[in-house]
Amino acid sequence: MTRDSRHRPQQLIPSRRTLIIWLLGVASVLAVMGLGALAVVEGGLFDATASTPDNPIAAVGIHTTFIRSVQVRAAHIQAPASFSPAQVQAGLADYDASCADCHGAPGISRASWANAMTPSPPYLYDAARQWRPRELYWIVGQGARMTAMPAWSESRSSDQLWSLVAFLEAMPYLTPDEYARMRPRARGTGAAEPRLSEPHQRAGR
Amino acid sequence: MTVSRSAMRFARSGRTVTALGLAFAALVSACAPSPPAPKWPNFGGDAHRGKLLVGRYSCGACHQMPGIEEADGLVGPPLATFSRRTMIAGLLPNTPSNLVLWLRHPQAVTPGNAMPDLGLTDAQARDIAAYLYAKP
Repeated sequence: MTRDSRHRPQQLIPSRRTLIIWLLGVASVLAVMGLGALAVVEGGLFDATASTPDNPIAAVGIHTTFIRSVQVRAAHIQAPASFSPAQVQAGLADYDASCADCHGAPGISRASWANAMTPSPPYLYDAARQWRPRELYWIVGQGARMTAMPAWSESRSSDQLWSLVAFLEAMPYLTPDEYARMRPRARGTGAAEPRLSEPHQRAGR
Repeated sequence: MTVSRSAMRFARSGRTVTALGLAFAALVSACAPSPPAPKWPNFGGDAHRGKLLVGRYSCGACHQMPGIEEADGLVGPPLATFSRRTMIAGLLPNTPSNLVLWLRHPQAVTPGNAMPDLGLTDAQARDIAAYLYAKP
């Protein structure tokens, strides 16, 4: 040990030898992580089934990532100041035909197969209390990757998307009875048929 | 002393509810006959399976449930302290058999309430009940 190093302020300036050891350590950790990632991707270690729930830590990470992604990307959207009853009614009809199978409705459960989806499509009774209108517009229009949520802007006009948002905003104020009365099939009008064909009419509805 | 009295109370209400359940089953004639009166506290439900079902059925979309990912809904009541709750849906005394009845047929117990009939089997409802009661 030299006189210099003995008098050098310790910790502040590491010796070259210490630096090399540290760099080697970091490099080997990165190498192990890379091999681990390779094993997961190429070795089939990742469980890609829908029948097992997400790892809790991964689930929180994915969910937070989704929330922030939506908040940032919807920030520029200008939502209407208010929605008309006609928009709510049109949105309800569309929701009932195209959304309720996966997301349920006031007093109405999802289709049984929706309980077997991972991630689980949430009930949306209070979605308007968790998202701003422009964020709901973004989610409905653009969908959610690695869930089964499609980008509905593919088959809906902007007005139709806003009508769906209008309904989501109104849903917390609707009783299950009111929802049932407002359903087009319950009224038998056949109005506001969705543009997508719907081969899966649910029995008893 | 206290324990045995409360056990008797549970047993008694269990019989009443079983009778109600049988009447209900006869009415809708779609359900299998109710099983024998369940034994408190463990009536055949598996809390671990119940926790998985709580995730699959998205209970957390409407109910706050600590320990379940993303279970932050405020549509219905929080379920953290369910074992100490007195009433279910403000209507049924909180007994295991009443909880199973409520979980399976909320629309029959309180028609028009916001909680949908989820299509749970008796075994699934027992598992979920076991999970809810496993919390302090």
